[in-house]
Amino acid sequence: MGIIFEFPDLYLFPSGLWVTIQLSVVSLIGSLVIGTVIALFRISPIPPLRWVGTGYVELFRNTPLLVQLFFLFFGAPLLGIRFSDEPLEFNFRAALLGLSLYHAAYVAEVVRGGLLAVDKGQIEAARSLGLSYLGMLRYVQLPQSFRAVVPPLANIFIALVKNTSLATTIGVVELLKAGELIESRTFRTVEAFGSVAVLYLLLTIPMGIGVNWLEKRLRVAR
Amino acid sequence: MRPDTWHLFIDPGILRFFAEGLMWTVLLSITSIALSFAVGLLFALGRLSTRAWLRWPSIAYVEGVLAVPVLLLIVYFSIKGSSLFQPFFGEDFDLPRFWAGVLGLSMYTSAIIAEILRAGILALPRGQSEAARALGLSYPRTMRFVVLPQALRAMVPALMAQLTTIIKDTSLVGTIGFFELYRSARIIYTQNFNPIEALGFISIIYFVICFTLSQLSRRLELGQAPKDVRAKLAEIQLRDQVA
Repeated sequence: MGIIFEFPDLYLFPSGLWVTIQLSVVSLIGSLVIGTVIALFRISPIPPLRWVGTGYVELFRNTPLLVQLFFLFFGAPLLGIRFSDEPLEFNFRAALLGLSLYHAAYVAEVVRGGLLAVDKGQIEAARSLGLSYLGMLRYVQLPQSFRAVVPPLANIFIALVKNTSLATTIGVVELLKAGELIESRTFRTVEAFGSVAVLYLLLTIPMGIGVNWLEKRLRVAR
Repeated sequence: MRPDTWHLFIDPGILRFFAEGLMWTVLLSITSIALSFAVGLLFALGRLSTRAWLRWPSIAYVEGVLAVPVLLLIVYFSIKGSSLFQPFFGEDFDLPRFWAGVLGLSMYTSAIIAEILRAGILALPRGQSEAARALGLSYPRTMRFVVLPQALRAMVPALMAQLTTIIKDTSLVGTIGFFELYRSARIIYTQNFNPIEALGFISIIYFVICFTLSQLSRRLELGQAPKDVRAKLAEIQLRDQVA
């Protein structure tokens, strides 16, 4: 050990960790929003919307996230979308969008499952009481699906935290990149990557315990 | 977009280049899934063992590996892999990138497969193994002839879904410089400045393979496995679904 604890670039660990947390949280929110919309598309009574929803889910789930990230990274500027003029900020925003779009496909499947699990009588009752389709979604179907949906969503969040490591490949200095930089300057491979692994463990293991707790709680309440 | 860059993809030389990349992707996937199945089975049995000295290391391995990103493992083996094996193969041993990738992918996937198999074994009615033991079969024979054949059959769809995931994950091995499908596209677009076309082209290849496999595994799934096992499998798949 020794040398790594005196190394001046150690600040990379906390700053990398912070970038990983930012990526995780913002992409989670992004994927929840996009995923819910796609899920509503998938159960919509209008066939073209359903096709769009199904196409989205299958497309994003069956291609590698890495390829999607690079696609955005190179493709967005060609389409005239500039995330930012500052390169680091550009990479960060491209990663945010890429992670959100990818995990939205998984979120959509989970939310769709939750929506379909709501008792049909509830939906029919709401409609016959005069609620519009959107009103019924908003006040009856979505809130009732919430309970079934939370534990699997938490599982997606754990996967998302781990997948933020792919942002490294498009030049975001997050936790894994911080480890790689420190390793390349100190040649302390085991210590550098060991520290990164421990930091990931500290993020994901408590989340796993949290999911188990949530599952138990929500199951009893159902 | 510039349509003139598409003509590249009818050129037989370029297509052969991509085919070679695809071949390495397939080889990487098959080697990794085979290795992770073997290792995963050991850890599944270890975790179910009644002996604490087998059970606890297995739990630590599975939970520890699943808590870190697979890219971390791949990058680690690409840098450190050579010196890890030097004690066995001599001072000048250099771990090929292929095997660094296989090690990273297999380590991660073996932990997932261990969880899948454990769920499958636990799902069997206890009467099965009790009957086998009562008939005089030893523990290894009970596993070999009664429990595992049934558990494995029930877990085939889940294992196939894992194959889809591993095919997508092989793209990560491209980032450590191994030539596979993603890497072949990267070489093409750095030379021809057509990232959208090249990445679009390999996306179609990935999609066709993964979509076919996932549809196949979905078809097999119908009516199999009790409800709580399916819930457990869904959880494993969501939590550890990567790239």
